[in-house]
Amino acid sequence: MGKEQQQTYWRSLNELAQNEEYRKFVEREFPENATELTDGVSRRNFLQIMGASIALAGLAACRKPVQKILPYTRQPEHIVPGIPLYYASAVPFRGNLSGVVVETHEGRPTKIEGNDLHPGSNGKSNIRQQAAILDLYDQDRSRKVLRNGSDSTWEDFTAFCREHFADTGRRVAFLSEAHSSPTLERLRQSALNRFPNARWVTCEPFSEESVLNGTAMAFGRRLRPSYHFDKASVTLSLDDDFLQDSDNDVAHIGAFAQSRALASPDEEPSRLYAAESTYSLTGSNADHRLRIKSSEIPLFTFALAAHLSGEVSGLEAYAGYRNTFSDHSWISVLAEELMRNRGSSIITAGPEHDAPVHATVAAINHALGNTGQTVEYLDVPYTATADQNEAFAGLVREMGEGQIDTLVMIGTNPVYTAPADLDFQTALEQVPESLHLSLHYDETSRQSSWHVNRAHFLETWGDGHSFTGVRSVIQPLIQPLFNGKSETEFLNAVLSGEDAAGHQLVRETWQELLDGPFERGWNEVLHDGLQRGSRYNAVSVSLAGSFSAEAAGFLEAAEEPGGDSVELVVRPDPRMHDGRFANNGWLQELPDPMTKVTWDNVALMSPNTAERFGIPPTRRFGDPNQMVVRLRTASGDEAEIAAWVLPGHADNSITLHAGYGRQKVGRVADQVGVNVFPLRRSVSRLYCTAADVSATGRSYVIACTQDHHSLEGRPHVQDADLDHYRENPTFAQDAVYVPGIYGDREHPVSLFDDKQWPDHQPQWGMAIDLNACIGCGVCTIACQAENNIPVIGKREVRRGREMHWIRTDRYFRGDERGNPQVMHQPVPCMHCENAPCEQVCPVAATTHSDDGLNQMTYNRCIGTRYCANNCPYKVRRFNFFNYSKEYLTTGDDPEIIQMAMNPDVTVRFRGVMEKCTYCVQRISRAKIDTKNETGDTVKPSDGTVKTACQQACPANAITFGDLTDEKSIVSIQKSKDRNYLMLEELNVRPRTSYLAKIRNPNRQLSEPS
Amino acid sequence: MNSKDKPFGVLAEFANPADLMDAASAVKKAGYKHFDTYSPFPIHGMDEAMGLKPSKLGWIVLGHGIVGLLGGVALQSWTMSIAYPMHISGKPFLNFPAFVPVAFALVILLASFGAFMGMFYLNKLPRLNNPLFNSDRISKATDDGFFLCIEASDPAFSEKRAEELLKNLGATHIETIPA
Amino acid sequence: MSQNTATVPDDRLVKGNHDFASITKLITDIPQERTPLWWYIAFGISNILLAVMLAMVVWLIWNGIGVWGLNNPVGWAWDITNFVWWVGIGHAGTLISAILFLFRQGWRTAINRFAEAMTIFAVMCAGLFPAIHVGRIWTIYWIFPLPNSMQLWPNFNSPLLWDVFAVFTYLTVSTLFWYVGLVPDLATMRDRVKGKISKLIYGTFALGWTGGNRQWQNYEKAYMILAGLATPLVLSVHTIVSFDFAVSIIPGWHTTIFPPYFVAGAIFSGFAMVLTLMIVSRKLYGLEDIMTVDHIEKMNIIILVTGIMVGFAYSMEFFIAWYSAFEYEKFIFVNRAMGPYAWAYWTMITCNVVAPQFFWVKKFRRNITLTFILSIVINIGMWFERFVIVVSSLATDYLPSSWGYFTPTYVDILTYVGTFGLFLTFFLLFLRFLPMVAIAEIKGVLPQANPAYYRNGQSTKTQ
Repeated sequence: MGKEQQQTYWRSLNELAQNEEYRKFVEREFPENATELTDGVSRRNFLQIMGASIALAGLAACRKPVQKILPYTRQPEHIVPGIPLYYASAVPFRGNLSGVVVETHEGRPTKIEGNDLHPGSNGKSNIRQQAAILDLYDQDRSRKVLRNGSDSTWEDFTAFCREHFADTGRRVAFLSEAHSSPTLERLRQSALNRFPNARWVTCEPFSEESVLNGTAMAFGRRLRPSYHFDKASVTLSLDDDFLQDSDNDVAHIGAFAQSRALASPDEEPSRLYAAESTYSLTGSNADHRLRIKSSEIPLFTFALAAHLSGEVSGLEAYAGYRNTFSDHSWISVLAEELMRNRGSSIITAGPEHDAPVHATVAAINHALGNTGQTVEYLDVPYTATADQNEAFAGLVREMGEGQIDTLVMIGTNPVYTAPADLDFQTALEQVPESLHLSLHYDETSRQSSWHVNRAHFLETWGDGHSFTGVRSVIQPLIQPLFNGKSETEFLNAVLSGEDAAGHQLVRETWQELLDGPFERGWNEVLHDGLQRGSRYNAVSVSLAGSFSAEAAGFLEAAEEPGGDSVELVVRPDPRMHDGRFANNGWLQELPDPMTKVTWDNVALMSPNTAERFGIPPTRRFGDPNQMVVRLRTASGDEAEIAAWVLPGHADNSITLHAGYGRQKVGRVADQVGVNVFPLRRSVSRLYCTAADVSATGRSYVIACTQDHHSLEGRPHVQDADLDHYRENPTFAQDAVYVPGIYGDREHPVSLFDDKQWPDHQPQWGMAIDLNACIGCGVCTIACQAENNIPVIGKREVRRGREMHWIRTDRYFRGDERGNPQVMHQPVPCMHCENAPCEQVCPVAATTHSDDGLNQMTYNRCIGTRYCANNCPYKVRRFNFFNYSKEYLTTGDDPEIIQMAMNPDVTVRFRGVMEKCTYCVQRISRAKIDTKNETGDTVKPSDGTVKTACQQACPANAITFGDLTDEKSIVSIQKSKDRNYLMLEELNVRPRTSYLAKIRNPNRQLSEPS
Repeated sequence: MNSKDKPFGVLAEFANPADLMDAASAVKKAGYKHFDTYSPFPIHGMDEAMGLKPSKLGWIVLGHGIVGLLGGVALQSWTMSIAYPMHISGKPFLNFPAFVPVAFALVILLASFGAFMGMFYLNKLPRLNNPLFNSDRISKATDDGFFLCIEASDPAFSEKRAEELLKNLGATHIETIPA
Repeated sequence: MSQNTATVPDDRLVKGNHDFASITKLITDIPQERTPLWWYIAFGISNILLAVMLAMVVWLIWNGIGVWGLNNPVGWAWDITNFVWWVGIGHAGTLISAILFLFRQGWRTAINRFAEAMTIFAVMCAGLFPAIHVGRIWTIYWIFPLPNSMQLWPNFNSPLLWDVFAVFTYLTVSTLFWYVGLVPDLATMRDRVKGKISKLIYGTFALGWTGGNRQWQNYEKAYMILAGLATPLVLSVHTIVSFDFAVSIIPGWHTTIFPPYFVAGAIFSGFAMVLTLMIVSRKLYGLEDIMTVDHIEKMNIIILVTGIMVGFAYSMEFFIAWYSAFEYEKFIFVNRAMGPYAWAYWTMITCNVVAPQFFWVKKFRRNITLTFILSIVINIGMWFERFVIVVSSLATDYLPSSWGYFTPTYVDILTYVGTFGLFLTFFLLFLRFLPMVAIAEIKGVLPQANPAYYRNGQSTKTQ
């Protein structure tokens, strides 16, 4: 195992041509160590050098550089050219791992999928994990060690460390991003032992600190609440976007979808209440949504607790408390619901809310007996005992006062992300030596005396735990492209001044973690991608004695915000998070799930608020220009950013997404959007009240992929309340009148006889369950990764030329000034049996295959665009320019990004049409394998073919399979009463069908506020 | 001119279409076959006067049209259902309603070629060296002149009698055109 | 004829006391006299426009279709709009030369020659757009059924392919028809030009035409047959062009009324264009005697009729949209009138439905200035008609999520403007070097041409 993953792969041939090693080589007639070719490493060098020399031969001649494909001089084990290999690994994010399986082609990782065995993933993934592959092949990643901005080497750095850290008395501060790595923890301990004056601070701009503080307040211990939405029949989200802004989102989405699943009308789906300021993805999936300012969430929470205090024990602290929300219609209704569902309800609050909110939430959950049922409190050994936000503030203060000699930054980008009032940058200038490990030469690296280029997690060894504590090893899939170092290697170098390989460091750590024979256990972990049975232990909790006192304190402190004072809420961006993914083109071009805006962040506000500041509450159709507003916080920090009207947003509240406006990081990230971190305070980080908003009169072009957000009363998205569904289970199918009878029910009849498909062929079909889909958009990224879909940039997206093969349409319904409902609908190619696109193509470039696929023959396409015009679903995408060429051949060494391409999928040329293929490459592989195995049939058994979107979808909303097999999951889905065809009346007979969404509103609140 | 070498024919000019037409019928009565009248525009009734059989052009065009039709249908049926049949919008391979426009266009196209080339073929054109052009008056035939030419190739031709006849018919000018 | 009946002579098609010779002179002198200054100026401007067009086409092919303003819902815009517009204009020529010929409309002889020329050049402009609008022009020949190693053939189900055949046939047949008509006049030129070279050239193209009656017999037959063939062709071409839309399933395109509606529109715009050109050239070349006010009036009547047909089609579309009870259809038409493209829609209505109403009044029909202005207004309107059909239907179709607004780029605009350069360049060359009126046919409609004219005791000598 250990060896295979060290796949041979060559870096840019041209780059190699320059390197010293090669020069030496060409001076000699024969490679001196041609004899040691048996040794893997030398063989690799040899191949590299050969490759380089060939590249040179090409360059030397004044022609197109000739590049030859070299065969392996010795075939590495397990590699069959053309057959991908899959390795288990894990993706770290904010210190938590999610288990993944990585697909590699001849040593190139090309696709990341979830790991079925991993409880945090269940074989599913989210947009960050899907897009991680592009980060690996990011050309703009830092490629060398820099000393005060000038080139240096890793050797110099280790030498420096040996010399510099010889004096163990130094006041060293380690500033690390959140982690759960036993290895890093081991090194951390030895660091703290080695340097008596050292301190270790964790720096995450968006962290779970206040959640931990909350639980500490409530239970006296900093515990991580872990929610089981699948067990909950009622959930109340207090400004918490747990389906997206969470370290455990994949599991959350799966559990949530499961709790809403409806096989038949008599089942009882769960119910979700959301009280929030912005219209979050979670809110868009709620049965009832209350739009209140984030600054009112604490009051709302306290009021609820106060109301409940009369009915359950454990909330005495709130007895008698009253505020503006005490008489709110929701409070009593919620209280009733929660009482009715004691032990099977969940209350969650946004992680950025202050500790009192989380304390109250914990208290309520506990009082309602949810603890141990739907909520678990995990003891996480990797979280510090003190509030790290405060610790960070303290550190910055000391830095400013010159009390820190050396600052070691492991990841993190505080110069960019630190709250404005701390003024990290000036503080940093007071620190004599600052060492920074980062993927990019970023804002912080520029201010540091040492920059060490970091290795991507797919390049080096690491380990850690999932959100719930499942322990995994991060297994590299490729040699570091730019000789980067992992955090463990970096920290080890700092401590020992030696250059130890991550592999060996991790193995060292795991000697203790594995019982039984090590190699066996180790290989098992590598194979499975996790250590079975490992998890954080859930502790039983009880209210801390000090709680009532504390509660009295914060209830006292809770002040009522002025009704029309405007609050600014800074949240992590659904795609960029805190900006760490800003140089990822896939994520930049992925439309925001709610606004469908790409390549920018905007100031989200309700129509009323917009009007209040002289911004048109509705956008003119086809006009990309948005008014720019100037936002000024009470403390005078300013930002100018385009305003965006988001129906359903709370009035007098403005939501801003962080992670944009980065400087000199990379060709993708630079100058995209506006940096809103300066508007953030170190205390009550989520929002600042009493902001001053004014229209600048300037306008700014925004690239939005969906120009029109009303469904115009059309029946494309079918949804109904549970009651209506029970009365009329086939409401979705009966929604449109279809002339003609076919079989027993209405069905369009055709002029021609129906096509007879050959019996020996499978007939592919897809069903998309809108009841499960939450609209996160991971299908789009998964598809982009699988099908080599190029990134085309803001200008082209603005012109409405986005290339995504599957998009998620988002519609608002209802009162835009009030609280409209939102519907999400993923739309891939429908693979119509009577495909309108086929008959209009003059050269028959798009036709039907025997297994019912609507095929696009790129080579034959001459690009009349007639097919796209005639597609009622508008799912066809045209290469208006040579997008793939721009995408794959620009930059210093395009070979890097080219390695991310899936060799099984054609790269499309300028002027041709393209569209969803149902992942035909996966279908063909499965059919061939089946044929080889069975010898006769080409019908793969159900479940063997998974489309990229289906495989990624954490909600299991997408099912795909053979319609000729009545027992296939997709056939079962399609046989459900909620199943309907979009635009059935056109008689195009789509193979992709939808299952209607069922809402589960509470009659007492039937009128959405 | 000397009478040894045979001339091309005798050319007479007449004042107006009416005289020309009378002359033509007279010449026909006199038993001449190889003669023709020349005018700047087609004169109605001249065909009868000269006793010309109706033009065969129609048949040529019809032939071409039929070829176009059969060819069009054959081409489409063969390519769409035999040479490379493909599933297109769930339609049958032989989708005749869709074949109509192209077949029609091909009928028109070939028929037009038939009419165009057939006409020049029947008129023995192009023929750039016509003995007629040896006369310097004939050029009036494309302007306002009306001529009748009895050709020497006619079995009944004799220069004398032809000139005689034409003079009597009131030709304003008569000349013999050398071959 | 009997004594006790008197015939009222219908007023003469050719004004002024012209005889055969004077007609010949009037027309054949044009190519022979010195090139007038205005011609050089006009030709220069046309060439500049043509150059602009070529530059835009090169730019387009070099960079890709993206240089146009097209986007995802709107895959066709100015390209196909221009195509349909130019083809439509072309129709007038064939209509005049073929259909009016079959209806024995003598007055057509004055204008058919350059109406046909206009047709050919307009169809050339039209043909340009489908050719350059494809993403990969270097593979455009795949639309022809050429045997190839891939054994692949075009898709005969596709209206676009029908278009290829229809337009190609149309261009060929119009050219043949035009040339057949030219042969006798080329002979006239051959016999009148002085210069050796010009004599040689005209002579060559005259193919040795003698004007013998045995030739005239076949000639008339051929001309009649070609007219007979061109008539269904001209009707079919725009019908098939309209199939590009009618056969699709996009609301606003999927309409059975399109074929007649498109043909009417084509005649409408074509006649307007003929008038525009005719009014200018008759002035410049002093051909008022041949292209008389009567001609203009007759054409204005046709414009009025076709204008009303088009207007009827507009209202009919709305009726059907409502009557079909198909919500998407209903929406698209309401949206045309009130939606983002309302400005284009109302321009169209004003130019195509309101403007022609002037021609109810005889005084206006015979007013040359007004006719000239309206003829241009109408062509603007007809361009917008095609724009509204092509773009507004695509912009807002079934799924609101994929709606998108189209805005042209400078390349869209300059390419269109440039085609006028192409058109005028050819047209000016035609005016300069070819007899712009069918000489033989004009003579044919003079009273003197009819032998009967000499038998009713009138003087045998023509004045």
